[in-house]
Amino acid sequence: MDLLAQTAGITGNIEELKGALALIGYGAAAIGPGIGIGVVVGNAVQAMARQPESAGMVRTNMFLGIALTEALALIGLLLYFIT
Amino acid sequence: MEQLILALPGIPAHCAEDKTVLCVPPSVNQLFETPTVFSIGGVGITRTMLLMVLAALVTVAILWVAYGRVRLVPTKFGAAVEGIVGFVRDDVAIGVIGSDGVRYFPYLLSLFMFILVGNLFGVVPLINFPVTSRMALPLFMSLVTWFIFVIVGFVKNGPGYLLSIVWPRSVPIGLRWFIGFLEVISTFILRPFTLAVRLFANMVSGHLLLTVLLGSGVVFISRLDMSSITGVLWLAFGLLIYPFEIFVATLQAYVFTLLAAVYIQTSVHIEH
Repeated sequence: MDLLAQTAGITGNIEELKGALALIGYGAAAIGPGIGIGVVVGNAVQAMARQPESAGMVRTNMFLGIALTEALALIGLLLYFIT
Repeated sequence: MEQLILALPGIPAHCAEDKTVLCVPPSVNQLFETPTVFSIGGVGITRTMLLMVLAALVTVAILWVAYGRVRLVPTKFGAAVEGIVGFVRDDVAIGVIGSDGVRYFPYLLSLFMFILVGNLFGVVPLINFPVTSRMALPLFMSLVTWFIFVIVGFVKNGPGYLLSIVWPRSVPIGLRWFIGFLEVISTFILRPFTLAVRLFANMVSGHLLLTVLLGSGVVFISRLDMSSITGVLWLAFGLLIYPFEIFVATLQAYVFTLLAAVYIQTSVHIEH
């Protein structure tokens, strides 16, 4: 972090910069999963509307897809707290 | 000026001298550290440990009350628990793993019930702490799941289990080393990690959200003599989030169990 600040020519309170950077990083990490969950749920709703008898199977797989996609955003949140 | 202290039990508030509005805990970790209640032989017993034991006891008690005595006609409570048990058995164990999924049903049911009770502790008044928001608990459960699916893979398929991951036959031969490399990392390292982090981070963010919204709402209303509409807004938003947290607690217990079942399924039926 110090090296990064030096190369960018930033002087001042590095600790505050660290928090701001972590916040921006979490925001960036939430973009991809947001789009991903939208695609997963949207297509699942479409599938359920087209074929209501397969709704149970689609719902299980939808939660599976949401869970796998959401992990990325949550890792971003975790990294925000531990930096 | 009088300093306002966000009263959280057992947490020493850290008050800045130049800021008169609020005393904040020094870091977010303070919300998740619980003081030692008593110690036995030098081992400190914290509130979290007691809550874990309580969660296990509640889980056992629910099943005991529902099924301790075999009845021809189940009680109302028994019928309600039967809904949960039947859901885990039919939809998760048999639905995901297949007809031999009944063998893993006891493990999946205890996992689901324990995580559900532990998560719901976060919205129970006077407890207000989801025990699954301490990394030790989700990590331990995901490591147990990891051992189970690796051992099941070797028992069911022999060395072919490892070979099917390292050298997958369903991809073109030129790419096999690369896909195998990715598969090894994802199966043996990322799976237990993401399984634990998913539950942990969901519970942490829910607990933080409730603490910040309800806590600041109460502080604003009680200490600023209703002079600020902000407190009412925070409190209303916190109460809106409350049922959402109950939904998240149930959903995360379901997702953890579902993913454990999916991981066991990929070990039982490997791709040839």
